[in-house]
Amino acid sequence: MQMNRRVPVAVLVFCFALTLAGVGVYAELQKGQYQAATLGQFPQTSPSESLPDSQYGGRAYPLYPPELVAGEGKAEVEGYCSMCHSTRYITMQPPLPAAAWETEVTKMKKTFGATIPDEVTSKIVRYLQAHYTPETRKQ
Amino acid sequence: MDATERFLSRRGLLKALGAAGGGLALSRWVGRDTAMAQEPASSGAIESFTGPGANQRWNSVGPYVTEPQKAPLLLLTDRPVQLETPRHYFSTAFTPNDAFYVRWHLDGIPNNVDLKEWRLQIEGNVTKSLGFSLPELIQKFKAVSIAAVNQCSGNSRSRLQPRVAGGQWGNGAMGNAMWTGVRLRELFDAAGVKTGSVQVQFQGLETGSGPKGMASGSFLKSLDLANPVLDECVVAYLMNGEPLPMLNGFPVRLIVPGYFATYWMKCLSWIRVLDATDENFWMKPGYRIPDTPKGNTTPDDVKAGKVNMVPIAKMPVRSFLVSPDGSSKIPAGMRVTLRGIAFSGYGRVTRVEISDDGGKNWSAAKLGEDYGAYSFRTWEAAWTPKSPGKYTVAVRATDEKGNTQPDEPVWNPGGYLWNRIEKQELVAGTAG
Repeated sequence: MQMNRRVPVAVLVFCFALTLAGVGVYAELQKGQYQAATLGQFPQTSPSESLPDSQYGGRAYPLYPPELVAGEGKAEVEGYCSMCHSTRYITMQPPLPAAAWETEVTKMKKTFGATIPDEVTSKIVRYLQAHYTPETRKQ
Repeated sequence: MDATERFLSRRGLLKALGAAGGGLALSRWVGRDTAMAQEPASSGAIESFTGPGANQRWNSVGPYVTEPQKAPLLLLTDRPVQLETPRHYFSTAFTPNDAFYVRWHLDGIPNNVDLKEWRLQIEGNVTKSLGFSLPELIQKFKAVSIAAVNQCSGNSRSRLQPRVAGGQWGNGAMGNAMWTGVRLRELFDAAGVKTGSVQVQFQGLETGSGPKGMASGSFLKSLDLANPVLDECVVAYLMNGEPLPMLNGFPVRLIVPGYFATYWMKCLSWIRVLDATDENFWMKPGYRIPDTPKGNTTPDDVKAGKVNMVPIAKMPVRSFLVSPDGSSKIPAGMRVTLRGIAFSGYGRVTRVEISDDGGKNWSAAKLGEDYGAYSFRTWEAAWTPKSPGKYTVAVRATDEKGNTQPDEPVWNPGGYLWNRIEKQELVAGTAG
């Protein structure tokens, strides 16, 4: 229980930090800006936005977060995996064997440098194995 | 345009309908049920994922989404952005910019670029570090153009058995464009490559949220300075005659003809001459293939540590049937045109053959215009299903080096190099 309470707080703090960082980044680097969007909507093109004279590009990239299966560990997956990438990286995969999910999470930590506490790591692996293997995947 | 073409074109059809009294005329030719059945193919019928078997569809199964400067494309991931080009866009030799597939590695994708600030830097083991603005690149160097196919290393990854983790592309992680820009060699010459240099590293504007110095912090790719492909590389500021979409690498992108897209750095901003071999994650162990014929291996050999892995390089020969796509029945006895594209990273496509019996008997298709060794080459072949039934149409290409497509699957741990002969079931119905 204590665990369950602590993680969402961490997630909230993370999201807040991301928002702050996002605002700062937008002013200077104009990269990594994303915004919520709705699947199935196809806006027509419109005249280019009024960016400063020498700037090109401009719009934030749409986010289409997938619906992850409800279950123990979902909050941790959404909180930690989303630090670097969309959880569509999970739902896009074919059902992967349990060992493959463990390899993937280990790769995220060791190769990509994700800072995930060990107890959360095992929770994330258990969640992926419980819902995204050939034996368990339903959606 | 002959009379048949005029009638089949949309405008021609509307004119014909208008002349015949609009909508009323339509019901004479189109049965009510048929007219009602014209729902979009995506209306809930498609699965949300494929596997553990192979993806049987031509494209991946993600939903259509619209991203800045792009037509609706198939979504793989939204952050970072990975989008696949739908099959029908491959009916021409050049892929439209707004339909060109998108693949980024890290979530810090530039949303916009300030050209007052932006410079292409040439640095590292050079006599003189240089920085060029976009106007300087355009004005100081001779413009060259090359038609070249850009294909993701993992294109068709969803075909592999057993499936491997990674972007689950169908066949649409590829495109062909006419790229215009500056020869990479001229930039080297301007800066002066010092003796003892071994590789050149490319970096774009993309960064990730991960720690610096790790795979999630930056995306870096390198090529050997002795590699002859460097003589053909272009730093492109035009794609099909227009500025590149931001998602395809505005303001300039590296073009590496014949090579997989992993080296085609988007938003190229740093060209760095190195005096040692680059061993960052994206060169090792990332984007490596077995040093075996056709890059093939097995999960067991990988586990046993028997496989020597080398950086991925040239694209093997491939060909595709684009239309008919199997979504409609063809009346038996009716002559239709099979159309598609072919390409090879090893040289120009010299032969495309089609089969309607799954690959037992082959006949030559007619090749379309030749836009150079690294371009898509269109092909077409007239085909008549003689009697009602199912036909397995197969397409096979051969390049000038004699490489031809195999009818065997490919497997390696990265899910790269798929080039098996493509097959499409077409159904002929009873006519009359």
